[in-house]
Amino acid sequence: MVVNKIGRKNALLLGGVLVLGLLPIALQGNARILNVLIAALMWGVLASAWDLCMGYARVFSFGHLAFFTIGAYTAGLTARQLGIPPLAAIPLGGVTAAIFGLLIGLLCLRLRGVYIAMVTFGLHMVLQTVIIWGRDITGGKTGVTGFAPLQIGQYIFSPSYPFFSYYIALGIFILLLFIIYRIINSPIGLAFVALRDSEPYAKSLGVNEYKYKLIVFGISAFIAGLIGAVYIHFYGIISPVTLDIPIFLMVLIMFMLGGLGRFPGAVIGAFVITFVTEALRPLLLWRFVALGAIVVAVTVFIPGGLMSIPERVRPFIRRAFGRRHVEEEVS
Amino acid sequence: MTVSMAGNLLIAGVAVGAVYAIMGLGLSYVYGITKIFNYTQGAFFTWAAYIAWVLSSGFFHLNYAAAVIITVATMFLIGVGYEKAVIRPLRRFPEWQMTALIVTLASAMALDNLALAVFGYAPKRIPHLIKGNFVWGDFLITRHEVVTLVAALAIMFLLILFLKKVREGMAMQGMAQEPVGARIVGIPIDKMYSYSFGIATVLAGISAILLAPKILIYPTVGWVVFIKAFVVMVFGGVGSIKGTVIAAFILATVEVFVTYYIGGIWGMPIFIAVLAIMLIIRPRGLFGTW
Repeated sequence: MVVNKIGRKNALLLGGVLVLGLLPIALQGNARILNVLIAALMWGVLASAWDLCMGYARVFSFGHLAFFTIGAYTAGLTARQLGIPPLAAIPLGGVTAAIFGLLIGLLCLRLRGVYIAMVTFGLHMVLQTVIIWGRDITGGKTGVTGFAPLQIGQYIFSPSYPFFSYYIALGIFILLLFIIYRIINSPIGLAFVALRDSEPYAKSLGVNEYKYKLIVFGISAFIAGLIGAVYIHFYGIISPVTLDIPIFLMVLIMFMLGGLGRFPGAVIGAFVITFVTEALRPLLLWRFVALGAIVVAVTVFIPGGLMSIPERVRPFIRRAFGRRHVEEEVS
Repeated sequence: MTVSMAGNLLIAGVAVGAVYAIMGLGLSYVYGITKIFNYTQGAFFTWAAYIAWVLSSGFFHLNYAAAVIITVATMFLIGVGYEKAVIRPLRRFPEWQMTALIVTLASAMALDNLALAVFGYAPKRIPHLIKGNFVWGDFLITRHEVVTLVAALAIMFLLILFLKKVREGMAMQGMAQEPVGARIVGIPIDKMYSYSFGIATVLAGISAILLAPKILIYPTVGWVVFIKAFVVMVFGGVGSIKGTVIAAFILATVEVFVTYYIGGIWGMPIFIAVLAIMLIIRPRGLFGTW
């Protein structure tokens, strides 16, 4: 069997990618849904990068939306002021975010968990203040706009070309998610598993917690900044509103809902939350009350997230049918 | 600048500092005992201000003393209820302090937007506790500021007294030092968690009653005070009552002088800069012990 050779989990992941690839054809190019899907893909990357940091490396970062915004502003401003083409501006956004990430990481990764959350959230608040007051450069509250879009032939990466943009976004999504997947299944990912299972033992074997945390923090900041740069090129605008608490929470909810530290969970959460917030739009002011209440309910009732549902349901099924799957016990 | 001007600014700074101190004590108290960083504190501030407004000038036009007492009692119930409904179910799981951070942030957003949906964007105003000023030569202090200052100092001493002399207070200190040991010797952990949230929420309520007459009440007013109280807590040292109060007075005085001489928009950046420098140089704060 092909499935046995590549493993059941990988087969599921490949199947998911295949479904994502065929969706636009199934939707017959429905522009509205495709644009929501593109947003879900971008949020999915950000949520996965954040989850890599929080769920796997156990670094309690509240700064990834700030890295996202740094990447977006870098790409937008360099493209507008210096005329750098999008294909160079997007990686530049990622690199700038990574530099910020490493600097912040050097400062705070030795602190205890909650203090890291405080420092990174401090970065988040400072950034919004700086953007609003640096009006002459950053455009203040109106944001950055008016730079050359990402264009291939007659197609432009923007909401007016959903079919083309979807595949560009999907390509970027697959590339970045593959990087995250490789890190989780690399010696670095293994080091974090060891640290989580028994910290004293892992450290006695020479696992350098600070070094690995710094590496992962830098990489996830890079991915967050990169996707921020993609975001600004897609919508053609970014403003400090991105740093508001509702959006911050929305991304947090995505990987909490999907399951903290359960790899494709953040993506599933991103799709669910993006479509739910889109569906809740008619509630107007009550939308964020509902969103907040949903997060509280999800964390209180299913703390492991959606990805933990199969393993929670499995014992019940097994009891109901009264037979044991030996191979599952082993794996 | 004249001596009287400097003196008046100093008085204003100390009065504002008293409010930050009360708010910061609420944050620090909950963190010290339960190890939860409570983002909802700001939303509780907002709601206390709105409740006081509804009771006093909004709808019921109650006697002000009655309004204050009812607000404080309601806040205690809200705090206890919040802990029972939201924080307690989380405690069954490992690493619940991490999820508690997200849950408190989410509840803060829900409560803020609930306030926006119920009361609207239009800012509200509540009256001062007492009107009138004390004048002494060139110096002037409003009676409201005197009340604020006395309240802050009284709360500080009552908290210290509670933690040192009262049975429940000592039990809470025990929990802060050694949670497992506290459970072994039979301290009712659940009750203590509820009480500490109730007390912190009351502190948010009192600071709202004292500060709200000077500023306008709007749905996100709590965040501004919350962030300042948070910086005060980090600056003074988490879990240290003395440190929090001293830090509040220092930072508020600096803020008042900066606002007067440079401009109002620089108040918040000063706080953020202090936060950043403090976390780099001495992350445990002035009097912190970890």
